[in-house]
Amino acid sequence: MSNSLSAIAQTKWQQSYQLLLIISLLLIAVVTPFAATSYGAASISANDVLQVFSHKILGLGENQGVTERIIWELRLPRVILAFIAGAGLSIAGSVLQTVTRNPLADPYLFGISSGASFGAVVVLTLFSQSILWLSLPLGAFIGASLSVLMVLGLCGRNLSTQVERMLLSGVAISFMFGAMASLLLYFSSPQAAASVLFWSLGSFAKASWTGLILPAIIVSICTLVILLFKRQIIAMRAGDETAHTLGINVGRLRLSMLLLCSLITAILVANCGGIGFIGLMVPHTVRLLFPGRYPLLLTAAIGGLFMVWVDVLARTLLSYQELPVGIITAVMGSIFFLFILGSRSAKRT
Amino acid sequence: MSSQASETVLTVRGLGWKLNGQSILSDIEFSLAKGQMLGIIGPNGAGKSSLLRCLYRFIKPTSGEIHLFGQPISVLSAKAFAQQIAVVLQDTPHHFEMTTSQLVNLGLTPHKSAFEFTNADDRDVVAQALIKVGLADKANQAYESLSGGEKQRALIARAIVQRPQLLILDEPTNHLDIRYQIQTLELLHTLNITVITSIHDLNLASALCDELLLLDNGRCLAKGTPKTVLTEQRIGEVFDVCCEVKPHPQHGNPLISYFYGYEPGSKSHHGLDAGGNNV
Repeated sequence: MSNSLSAIAQTKWQQSYQLLLIISLLLIAVVTPFAATSYGAASISANDVLQVFSHKILGLGENQGVTERIIWELRLPRVILAFIAGAGLSIAGSVLQTVTRNPLADPYLFGISSGASFGAVVVLTLFSQSILWLSLPLGAFIGASLSVLMVLGLCGRNLSTQVERMLLSGVAISFMFGAMASLLLYFSSPQAAASVLFWSLGSFAKASWTGLILPAIIVSICTLVILLFKRQIIAMRAGDETAHTLGINVGRLRLSMLLLCSLITAILVANCGGIGFIGLMVPHTVRLLFPGRYPLLLTAAIGGLFMVWVDVLARTLLSYQELPVGIITAVMGSIFFLFILGSRSAKRT
Repeated sequence: MSSQASETVLTVRGLGWKLNGQSILSDIEFSLAKGQMLGIIGPNGAGKSSLLRCLYRFIKPTSGEIHLFGQPISVLSAKAFAQQIAVVLQDTPHHFEMTTSQLVNLGLTPHKSAFEFTNADDRDVVAQALIKVGLADKANQAYESLSGGEKQRALIARAIVQRPQLLILDEPTNHLDIRYQIQTLELLHTLNITVITSIHDLNLASALCDELLLLDNGRCLAKGTPKTVLTEQRIGEVFDVCCEVKPHPQHGNPLISYFYGYEPGSKSHHGLDAGGNNV
């Protein structure tokens, strides 16, 4: 009896703890758009930001001129793109880790990022500069899709059963595309090499309202479909054979989830470059904060907010120039990776 | 339980399965009446798990037919199939981060469409199943933290939530101490559904199954009540042991005692004295 009482007490405590977490997250979510747009090269006060928002959204007050343009045309799309990227990569990571039952799976699993880099390199080095604005995302997207299709082709009919084979194929494809991209860069102009490097390190600097449309639509639709299959995805955690006995077509579900996650990743890589480790860090953190639960939407929200603040860091860390976001996430991610490894081996001993 | 045996739940005819040209199962035939508990017995590698996997469609037999309520199981959709047959397997993966009630909740999967969320009725069904297997106080505990017997009962609770016509279990008593072995099989009896289970312990099978199917090298050697299947000679031949079969003092089904130190192949203990020494 005392056992059950302590179990109930533990749940009560857990519930209030999780409620507290969610309330603080909501607060952060409300503050973030205003705070995140006030940081940057030009210092803009929180008051100015509020005035711009009230003028643009509620039609109150006056046009703030340059300040309004900076906030509305440059920083807000950037903040939104960062949010979409963080949310998309986090949800993709969470789903991939579940359907492949590999806690270290990442949206870049299938060599998506190196495929995308290769596509970008092809566009930047072989095509003229005039069509660049259109074709860099397109080239990256084609490259990313190509790598996914190659991994799927290599695994063939074993896809549903051999997760290891799939992961290894991803590594091989990744190296192959990396080598081809390096080869092209080796024979190209230093200018092209520099822009490829900048792109591949990841940045939201090119964000614009029109550029937001496609990532927003694709990430939302994929997320919606994933949410509809949440029950099946959770059941996959019990193992393929058990999932099969629960009426799930395991092979088909895994394949469609892989394709959805690849689509999310490809569109984000194409628009923001290679931003690694978000899909690994955020789902793991959510798992630590909400043990035993599988809050997909919350994972997306936390990932989005996290990405926005990493981008703020990228804008403000150095006073004279921006840092690529990919470098910051990579530093944080590698430390996080070691932390997971450490806590796992500690658990085992 | 056998008194209500009328409707046939499952019919298996001429079932065979080959893996890389090698025959794993051949010519399996049996049928199962509603409410019965069928135990699949046989030595390691006899094909028990393969037979079960054919029954729950995880592998596709190379020959033969399996009918569920007169309908070939191959025509059912994955979902419709899972609404009628629930399966309890031996192992769950490591790092299985779920609470007991979340695990039991998985049993609702085949009954839910994409747009349906867990509602109050579902929570009630899950709670009832947990009460039935005696795990109500462990509902919010991590599944990984449960003992072996509790884990098995949690998996059975998940199967109850699935509301199946037929429950298939693969070695449900493995790794359990004798108390949990008996508890698990008795629990299955109280559920009042048709059960097929593979089982290693012949005495347990004898005591708690209505019918037994003896497999050896992928073939069905005998099928019937424990009394007809578990004979001294048959057990000796199939398992290559020396044993004696007597009626159990409580239920009268065969009770098997094994003898040690016999000549391999003699399959008879008549050359041994009471202490098991050769005479």
